Amino acid sequence: MSNYLRVFLTFARNSLVRDMTFRANFLIDMISSICWVFINLAFYTLIFTYTPAIGAHSGWEKYQFFLFLATSLLINSLVQALFMTNADELSELVRTGSLDFALLKPIDTQFLVSLTRIEWSSLGNFAVGIALMVYSMHELHYVPGPVQIVLYPTYILCGVAIYYSLMIAMAATSVWLGRNQSLFDFWFYITNFSRYPMEIYRGPWGTPLRGVFTFCVPVLVVVNVPARILVRPINPELPDDWFLLGFTLFATVASLAGSRWVFQRALWSYRSASS
Amino acid sequence: MAIIEIEGLAKSYRVYQKREGLAAAVAGLFHRQYRLVEAVRGIDLQVEQGEFVAFLGPNGAGKTTTLKLLSGVISPSGGTARVMGFAPWRRENAYRRRFALVMGQKNQLWWDLPAAESFRLHQQIYRIEPERFDRTRDELTQMLNVRDLLSQPVRELSLGERMKMELIAALLHSPDVLFLDEPTIGLDVIAQHNIQVFLKHYQQVRRVTILLTSHYMKDVVALCRRVVIIALGRIIYDGSLSGIIDRFGGHKIISLQILNGETPANLERYGEVLTAEPPRIKLRVGRAVVPEVLSSILANHAVVDVNVEDPPIEQVIAEMFTQTTC
Amino acid sequence: MLNAFSSIIPSIYARAATWWTVLRISLEERLVYRGDFALGTLMRFLPIVTQIFLWSAVFSAKEATGSGRQIVGYSYHDIIAYYLLTMISRAFSSMPGLAGGIARDIRDGTVKKYLIQPIDMLGFLLLYRVAHKVVYYAVAAAPFALVFYLCRGYFSGWPDAATLAACGASLVMSFLLGFYLEATLGMLGFWFLEVNSLLFVYMLLSFFFSGHMFPIDMLPGVWGTIVRQIPLQYLAYFPAAVFLGKITGPALWIGLGTQLAWVLFFMIASRVTFRLGTRHYSGYGG
Repeated sequence: MSNYLRVFLTFARNSLVRDMTFRANFLIDMISSICWVFINLAFYTLIFTYTPAIGAHSGWEKYQFFLFLATSLLINSLVQALFMTNADELSELVRTGSLDFALLKPIDTQFLVSLTRIEWSSLGNFAVGIALMVYSMHELHYVPGPVQIVLYPTYILCGVAIYYSLMIAMAATSVWLGRNQSLFDFWFYITNFSRYPMEIYRGPWGTPLRGVFTFCVPVLVVVNVPARILVRPINPELPDDWFLLGFTLFATVASLAGSRWVFQRALWSYRSASS
Repeated sequence: MAIIEIEGLAKSYRVYQKREGLAAAVAGLFHRQYRLVEAVRGIDLQVEQGEFVAFLGPNGAGKTTTLKLLSGVISPSGGTARVMGFAPWRRENAYRRRFALVMGQKNQLWWDLPAAESFRLHQQIYRIEPERFDRTRDELTQMLNVRDLLSQPVRELSLGERMKMELIAALLHSPDVLFLDEPTIGLDVIAQHNIQVFLKHYQQVRRVTILLTSHYMKDVVALCRRVVIIALGRIIYDGSLSGIIDRFGGHKIISLQILNGETPANLERYGEVLTAEPPRIKLRVGRAVVPEVLSSILANHAVVDVNVEDPPIEQVIAEMFTQTTC
Repeated sequence: MLNAFSSIIPSIYARAATWWTVLRISLEERLVYRGDFALGTLMRFLPIVTQIFLWSAVFSAKEATGSGRQIVGYSYHDIIAYYLLTMISRAFSSMPGLAGGIARDIRDGTVKKYLIQPIDMLGFLLLYRVAHKVVYYAVAAAPFALVFYLCRGYFSGWPDAATLAACGASLVMSFLLGFYLEATLGMLGFWFLEVNSLLFVYMLLSFFFSGHMFPIDMLPGVWGTIVRQIPLQYLAYFPAAVFLGKITGPALWIGLGTQLAWVLFFMIASRVTFRLGTRHYSGYGG
C-alpha cells in the first residue's frame, strides 16, 4: 500500500537527516567498511597468483570469483543498510519494554520494527560492489543478456529477503531468550558459510554441510544463485540450474513466512517491562 | 453502552529464574523454575464516554498492567475487556487509530531529531489528512506553549518540554480514549500544573474518555471526579474522592488552641499527639470517639479555638495501601 | 575496580597480592559466563571450517593444473595447521581495548590518577593483562584442546623439544610485543586527540600483515621484503611458522633475536612516550 511506502520514505529521510547530523561518524563508518572490503580483495588477489581457480573445474576463476564477491557485497550491504541495526535494536526494545510503542501504532509491527532505521553508510559497500562488478565484467569481456538483467536483481532481492528472515527471526527470539550478544555473533558465523561458492563444500564433511545450508538454513543460495546467474549463464539443458532457481524462490517465500510466524509468536509472548 | 467494559480481567505472569549467558538461556528452554505473579486478579469496571477516571494504588498494584491490557500491549490470562467495542489485544488497526497511551517514564519520539519530524511520522502512520493534522498540531502546541521548540532536537529539551511533546504526539490523531500512565512523574511543580490545566481543558472541550494513573494526589484532585483504587490486583474502591475519606478515613484531626500556653498533661489518652507546641496542639483521634474526646478536652482545659477535620487524603490512601499490602 | 587497586605500594608482596586479587576476580567474572564463554570460544573456530574448505578448493584447483601441491612451501595440511596455530599466537598477542582504553583515559582525564598516585601505569596494565590471559587460558583450554584434537590430522606430529621451546619463547615475546606496541600507540593520545583513526589503520595493517589472514611468505617481491622488516609478523605469523618448522637454524635464531629486539624497543618506547606525554599533558593544566 502506498501508505507503507510513504512511511518507509519518511524512515529513510529521518535516518539520512540523523546521519548527516553526525557526519563524521557517517564518513568513518563508510570508509572503514570500504577499507575492510579492499583488504579482503587484496587477499583474494594474492591467492589467485598461486592458483587459477577456487575449486578444480568449478568455473570460479579470478574475475568470476570477483563477480561472486561483488554479488556478496551487494546483498550484504543492502541487508546492513536496511535491517541490521533494526534487528539489533529489537532486542533492546524488548528488554526495555519500549516495544510497547510499536504495538500501539496502527501499522504492521514487523514493518515498523524492521525499517525504522536505515544505515546509509552501508551503501558505500554497495557502490564498491557495483564497481567491482563492472570491472570484472569488463575484464571478462562479458555483457549480460536480457535474462540475466531480469533475473539477477530478482535473485539479489531473494537473497536479501532470506537473510532478513533469518535475522529478524533470531532477533525475535530475544523475547524468550533475553538479550544476547552471542546471538549477533551467531549471525556472523552462520553467514560466514555463504561467503564462498558452494562448490567448495565437498567430501564427507562438505557435502552434508552444503545440504544443510541449502535446504535447512538456506544461506548458501543467498549469494550463490544470483552470482551464478551472471557467471554461469542459466543453461536450460541443465536441470540442476532450473531446480536451484525454483528452489530459491520457494526458500524465499518459506523463509519470509517462517520468520513472520516466529515474529508473531514473539509478539504474542511479549510481556512488556515494568516502568 | 459504556465505552470501556471490563469483566473479570486477569493477568498473571510466570517469572522464570533467569540465568546469564547464551548456553544457560538455551538450556533454560528445557527446564525452568518459576513462580507465579498475579498482577491483575479479576477486575470489573465500566467507564462511560467522557469520564475522567483516576487509578490509584501502591506500586505493583496492577494499575500499569491494566492500562497495558487495555492498550493491547499485553494479552490477558482471563476475563474480557472491550474498549469502544474492540478487544484490545487483537491489536486491530481500526482500534489502534482511535486510542492513545502515554507513559510518563518512556520516550517514543526520535531522540536526535526535532519533535516536528516525529509528528510528521505520526501523521503518516495514522494517516491524518494534512489540513487536519496542521490544525491539530497548531492547536496543541499553542495550548501547551511549545511552538518555538518544535524544531529543536528532542534530546535538547527539558523533561517537562519533552513530556509535553509526548502528549502532543499522542493527541495528534484525536483519539477517543486516552490512557495516561504517570504523565507528570519527575516534573517540577510548574510543569505538572501546566499539564494538569491542559488536560482538564482538553478533556472538557473534546469529551475524551481518559484513564489516568498517578502518584501525585494533586493530579487526581485537580482532574478526576471518579477514583478507582487498585491494590494487589483487585479494585478495592470505585467512587468519588470524598467518598474515600468517608469509607476509609478512620481518624479525624483535632486542632486546639489552648489558653495560658501550658501543655496539658496526658494528652496521649485522647489519641495520637501530632504536634504539641503550645498554644497549638494537634491530635489524631479515632472517629468514633471524637465527641467524647472533644467534650473531655473542653471540660478540662481552657480552649480558645478548636477545629475538627479530615486527615489529608494522601494519608488516608497511604494507610489504606499499607493495610492492604500487609 | 581500578580504584581498589590504586594504592599499590611498589613492593613485591603488595604486587603479588594485587595480582592474585585481579586474577581471582577475572576468574569469577569469566566463570559466571562460562557457558556462554565456552560456546563463544568454540564458535570462534567456526570460520576455520570455511577456511578448511576454501583452501581445499584452492589447492585442488592448483593441483588440477599440474603446478604442484604446495604454495610457498605450505601444503594444504600445513595451511590449515597454520591457521589453527595463529589462533594461539593471536590469543597471546591480541590486546583488545588496550590502546583504546589508554587513549580514552587520557581523553577523559582518568590518567591523572596515575600521575598523582605512586602507581606504575604500564606495570599495572601489564599485570592486568597477564591475569586476564591466564584466566582466558584456564577456561578456554578445553575448547581449544577439543578443536586441536579434532584437527590433529592436519598436523604432522609434534615438533622436537628445541622447536617447541623456541615456539614457547616466541609466544611469550609476542605477548609482550603486542602489549608494549599497543600501549605505545595508546600513549600517542597524549598528543593526538583522535587516536581512534590511527588505531583503526593499525588494526587493518595488522590484520593483513601480521600473518593473521595468510602466511606472509605468500607476499611477493617488494611486499615480502617490507613485511619482514616490520614487527607485525611476530604477532601471529612467527610463532606458528616456528612450530611448523618453516623457520629453522640460523634463521630461527635471527628471528627470535629480532623479536626480542622489537620487544625491548617498544618497552622503551612506551616508557619514553609515557614520560614525554605526561609532561606534555601536565603542561596544559590537566
